Amino acid sequence: MHVDRRTFLKFAGMAGASGLARWPGAIAFAYAADPETPSAPSVIAGKSPQMIVHNAKLGVMETPLALLREPHFTPKDILYNRTHFPVDGAGRWVATTAPMDAKTTEEWTILVSGLVQRPKTIRLPDLATMDQVKRTSVMQCAGNGRSYYWAKAKTPGSGWKHGGMGNLVWEGVPLMPLLKSLELSVDARALYLTANGKDVPPVAGGADMIKSYRLEAPQLDDAILALKLNGEPIPTIHGGPVRLIIPGYYGNMNVKWLTDLLYTAEESPSAIMQKTYRMPIRPVEPGKFTTQDLTQQNSTPTYGFAVMSVVFSPLANETVRGGAVDLKGVAWNDGVVPLTSVRVSVDKGKSWQETEFEAPDGPYAWYHWQRRVQLDPGPHEVWVRAIDAWGRSQPIDGLATWNPGGWDWHGVDRVAFTVA
Amino acid sequence: MRFAAVVLAAGSLLLAAADAAAEIRLPEGPGADLVYAKCRTCHDLQYVVDAKGLLPAQWKAVIASMHDYGLTASKEEDERLLQYLTAYLGKNPPPAATPAPTAGATTTVDGQAIYAQNCATCHGPGGEGQPGLYPPLARNPDLARDNGAFPVAVVLHGLEGPIDVAGNRYDQAMPPFGHLSDAQVAAVVGYVQHAFGNAVSASPPITTEVVAQQRARPMTPAAVHAYRASAGPAK
Repeated sequence: MHVDRRTFLKFAGMAGASGLARWPGAIAFAYAADPETPSAPSVIAGKSPQMIVHNAKLGVMETPLALLREPHFTPKDILYNRTHFPVDGAGRWVATTAPMDAKTTEEWTILVSGLVQRPKTIRLPDLATMDQVKRTSVMQCAGNGRSYYWAKAKTPGSGWKHGGMGNLVWEGVPLMPLLKSLELSVDARALYLTANGKDVPPVAGGADMIKSYRLEAPQLDDAILALKLNGEPIPTIHGGPVRLIIPGYYGNMNVKWLTDLLYTAEESPSAIMQKTYRMPIRPVEPGKFTTQDLTQQNSTPTYGFAVMSVVFSPLANETVRGGAVDLKGVAWNDGVVPLTSVRVSVDKGKSWQETEFEAPDGPYAWYHWQRRVQLDPGPHEVWVRAIDAWGRSQPIDGLATWNPGGWDWHGVDRVAFTVA
Repeated sequence: MRFAAVVLAAGSLLLAAADAAAEIRLPEGPGADLVYAKCRTCHDLQYVVDAKGLLPAQWKAVIASMHDYGLTASKEEDERLLQYLTAYLGKNPPPAATPAPTAGATTTVDGQAIYAQNCATCHGPGGEGQPGLYPPLARNPDLARDNGAFPVAVVLHGLEGPIDVAGNRYDQAMPPFGHLSDAQVAAVVGYVQHAFGNAVSASPPITTEVVAQQRARPMTPAAVHAYRASAGPAK
């Protein structure tokens, strides 16, 4: 079930977690949802009641790390969700982890047009008969970790911790070879591919969820028109029956319920492309630079994932047995080059120790890392930092990338816990 | 110990309580009514509450960006929204006031003004509605349903579920407007019953007593949808 297992890592060779209890040493941990918010399955049918609901009307929810760390691939009932329009009323058709009904799936089409001489329509039944490939990749909200920025200054948006992500297996038809085979005669002015889905804003004139990608981006070469998630038809809430999957790109770039692909000379003018999901290219100060100041010149869209690592064990505020403590977690990047090092510190960054990490299930998937350390009873803190082959890494102080939308948190993860 | 088991047990205990979650309430203050009126068409108020602590320039940018997403508000309304959000959800909000029975910070009981602020975004300034989403209020037989008690319930408790009005289907959720006072609800329902070419004269005028009776019967928006079906055909 794994796609081509890469062996490019000299640090690879860890025996694997299968021989060990996954999270040894844990003594106590409890998670309680906020009783003021509606339960996740009442918002999206099929979701686990343990999900943390950030916005019921929009179906926004994240996964507690205690659940997220258990399975190798994140199952649909605990996968985070971000949708941009209400999942009640006329939008309720998306509010389920069940697949789209057979008739709608059968009749689904994707129109490929824009700066081409011969627009074409792709029928979903035809797509299903083509050769399918798997892409194991991290899916992550660009706002994942936003709440950590709030230590510097508040930003609008949901207060995500680290649970706005999952490690998933997508399956579908490679995008670029398919587009080439359509013989569209693409105009030389086309610099972007622009995608739109079936969802519509709840009020007339509202910005639509439309995304544009640079045609030259390496990740597009691995993009697929996905029909399956974790071996099943894609759950409707996660974009079924067909979702554009660009491995290594933040969730918002992976357009759900895909209906339109356009070759364009410019990025989409939609506010969801121009004002939301953009990072300023230089440091900015709270209140002095707002989301309304973002332009194409002073910002970039949230395309590829920043280098990032997260501690899965111990969890924050957990109490574990000493003296040998197994520190564990995951790391990932945009998949363009491999990670070369994942390091931990138990002395607040004074010294760093290399971890062992597994070769991931393909360049876009989670790397699982671990390191055993000897710790005395008392309060402790573990920090983790990943580095990739291009030397890209994580800021020691994640607040350095504070930005008015609260995107792209990738600071060194710092987790306080207690050794009994 | 497996935490998964602990988590599962805790979660299922919470489930029942969570399903009965109350509408998210804003801090009391002038302009809160405008936030209830303008912000819940597209998202629930968790976003607004979560953003507590934004600087004035940030709140101003939020309001500007919401116009891109379809917010309908006049310059004067934008200013009132900004004043409320910076004062009550800014960095130094005043201590929480004792909750009043109704949160109507605007005391107007001018039905036309209440309509313009709270209803016109979705139902249109002339009561024309939006096809497929929000039903027209012009010549809408529901205004007389159950002697006018039904439209009062819709305003107080919201409505969710597909409905057919004059042969067309509408299916967008309406949030509860229970923060309006009894007098305000009576005024706006009374206004709509006689605006946009409507003449719901068979129904006795909506009084605050009628509103109070409906307020005493808390319903979910889905339950209001069921009430509509059970109230029989509109005359």
